[in-house]
Amino acid sequence: MKQADAAAVPIHAGPGTKKQWMRHLKGIGRNKLLYLMIIPGFVYFVIFKYLPMGGLIISFQDYQPYLGIADSPWVGFKHFVRLFTEPTFGMLLGNTLILFGLELLFVFPIPILLALMLNEVRHRLFRNAIQTMIYIPHFMSWVIIVSISYVFLTVDGGVLNEIIAAFGGGKISFLQSSEWLRPMYILQIIWKEAGWSTIIYLAAITVVDPQLYEAAEMDGASRLRKIWHVTLPAIRPVIITLLILKIGNTLELGFEHMYLLLNSLNREVGEIFDTYIYTAGLKNGQLSFSTTVGMFKGLVGLILVMLTNRLAKKFGEDGVY
Amino acid sequence: MKRSWTTLAATMACCGMLLAACSGGSNPNSEQGSNASPNPGESAAPQEKPTISWLNVLHTATPPTDTVLNKIEEYTGAEIEFSWIPDASKEERLNTALASDSLADIVTITLMENSSVRNALKAGVFWEISPYLDEFPNLAKISEGFRTSASIEGKLYGIPLQKQVARNGVIVRKDWLDKLGLQPPKTTAELFEVAKAFTENDPDGNGVKDTTGFMDRSDLVFGAFKTLSSYHGTPSVWSVSEDGKVLPEFESEGYVKTMDYMKGLYDGGYINQDFAVTAKTDQQQNFAQGKAGIYVGALFDSKNLLNLAKGVQDNMELIMLNNITLTGSESERAIWSTSNGVGGLLSFPKSEVKDENELRQVLKFVNDLMSDEVYALMTYGIQDVHYTIDGNKAVTITNTELWQQEVQPFSSSRPSELGYEIHDNDPLRAEAAKLIEENTKYAKLNPMYSLESPTNSAQGSELLKIVTDATYKYMLGEETLDDFNEAVAKWRKSGGDQIISEYEAAYKAAFGS
Repeated sequence: MKQADAAAVPIHAGPGTKKQWMRHLKGIGRNKLLYLMIIPGFVYFVIFKYLPMGGLIISFQDYQPYLGIADSPWVGFKHFVRLFTEPTFGMLLGNTLILFGLELLFVFPIPILLALMLNEVRHRLFRNAIQTMIYIPHFMSWVIIVSISYVFLTVDGGVLNEIIAAFGGGKISFLQSSEWLRPMYILQIIWKEAGWSTIIYLAAITVVDPQLYEAAEMDGASRLRKIWHVTLPAIRPVIITLLILKIGNTLELGFEHMYLLLNSLNREVGEIFDTYIYTAGLKNGQLSFSTTVGMFKGLVGLILVMLTNRLAKKFGEDGVY
Repeated sequence: MKRSWTTLAATMACCGMLLAACSGGSNPNSEQGSNASPNPGESAAPQEKPTISWLNVLHTATPPTDTVLNKIEEYTGAEIEFSWIPDASKEERLNTALASDSLADIVTITLMENSSVRNALKAGVFWEISPYLDEFPNLAKISEGFRTSASIEGKLYGIPLQKQVARNGVIVRKDWLDKLGLQPPKTTAELFEVAKAFTENDPDGNGVKDTTGFMDRSDLVFGAFKTLSSYHGTPSVWSVSEDGKVLPEFESEGYVKTMDYMKGLYDGGYINQDFAVTAKTDQQQNFAQGKAGIYVGALFDSKNLLNLAKGVQDNMELIMLNNITLTGSESERAIWSTSNGVGGLLSFPKSEVKDENELRQVLKFVNDLMSDEVYALMTYGIQDVHYTIDGNKAVTITNTELWQQEVQPFSSSRPSELGYEIHDNDPLRAEAAKLIEENTKYAKLNPMYSLESPTNSAQGSELLKIVTDATYKYMLGEETLDDFNEAVAKWRKSGGDQIISEYEAAYKAAFGS
């Protein structure tokens, strides 16, 4: 379902003109029944996505659950002032941006590379086997993946450290160091998600017109040339769409994953907005403050999506809206 | 086209089911409160069993089966409905329960220092119960000390869970000591030497250097650190000087000495090198597997360790120590107590327990829980099923596995663990009980426990992270003492100073001078 959507979006969503709008309206009249079917989805979004946004109001209050929104005292921008003046803010923003940058740099291109490579494999059985194997980790939860790495990386009896020691190297405390947190984090994401994202690109590649390859071959293009001049341009819209979506989630690094990796020794490079919201909001019960942090996060995400989208359009791509 | 129609239909059907599931799911919740009380119209038949719901904290992996529960229900004449919260997630679960008003008749609150919990208590979400206590024989017996310690600004918002004041000590492998010809350590320096010997002299005799002295976990309070810090003369959480100056424990000399001690252990390899990321279960498993010989924690863990070691380290013998000091002299003995023996509160939210009649009913239930019979049920289980008893009321657990499944989960919910005649016949457990009792004499209480500091309630745990992180970094040699002092200064600047002045004011208000 998802792959079909992703591939379809850039192809069908043309720039809207007035004429098209008129046709759309007529279309609605003609297909009443079909539009009626949108209602459940529409209701879902209103109830579960839009109504809860009303709760953002509590970031301007000192919210106490037993007083309710109506009776909790209003405090204006107090929580925003606290967020922006607290020394942790710089650390949170820095960590989030660095991790995001690393993710963009190292995680994002890998599925594209994998898809291109798999596409070149001619043996179907082999290709399918590889594809299946690399997307299986997607179905494991972070708890499992972090536990596996824990077993591999501990100093006392961790497999990797035993190997290092066998070759005469000094043991490295991967889990208890701030230097190793970021590489570990990125590698775990690659291991878990690369295969899954590859599917989307592979789906996009399958719709490339084979005539283009034939034409390129006629012109004497080598394999690499064909990848560069045919395959990549063909999947460019998909890449751009996924990139925009990815950037929209900049500050959404994944609470569960980071929370499982955090400890006293790597907190300064690992604490991100999500984990901070959890400790401040749910554990310490500062609901208003954590709502403020969450709202800030959401706003930054929104701005980034709009910027990237505009940028994409400037470079002649379709964008997501 | 036909394909997409089927897909659409299927999607719609799914949506429909989802909505139905949601509306169905919310019903039992909203009714939870109402079925707690017996129908007032039927007061002519008081024999009808009241149903009491209990939001309780679970310290074991799985909730207990019904066997013991049925007996407790039989004895107390109440229908009990548990909602278990795993201990590891109690903070967020309790906070969400408070925020969404999905509480129960009885709520076990073990985190009285948590800001939202404290705010809820102070805001009157729960009944203030001190006027009612003396109506019930067992509740009336709760000592004045416990009542004061568990109060917030002079008000008691629940029945205090009465626990031993100081439960911690050092557990050492006796068979390893004997093998290496060592005496049980009396001073911290001797303990260090034992740790060194356990690491270097191959105490398990397998010819490989694969053991360490200490096996610790990532917990500065319930792990080794705080107990060792008591031995080094550190106050428990806060100290108050004679002229009313309040200082946090990490600004004491003892705290730094303890950090140095731990750093020494770490540098020498006499402690598991991963202790900063080791979980409690891993710690106990590793100890049981014979990877280390010294365990610092609650003394009654000794029996659990021995149980875990069955079939793995059958020659394991344990000795418990609670008299280690810096110099070995009796006068220096000290052991920390953070909560002064108060394990938490059993509180009764006004939203569930609607009026005084209902409150009395629930209080009577807790009163019954404290009876000798129910205490025995919750501690040892059912006679001749889980244990046998001799003439001296000494209990021998006959089926440990069954006991662990059916009885152990209840033990942390006992309203009181003190002053019962029935006791354990197992030498290790009896010894642990004796040493813990002995600890009471040397316990260092937290002087600020029942006092108020709004800043500490709101940001205390967040701020403490600054110091906790710095402590670990110092112990693992990543930072110097200057860095640590800088972290403490940062703690003071970010709110610590305010906490201190608030506590000083509260202390002055409560105790004069």
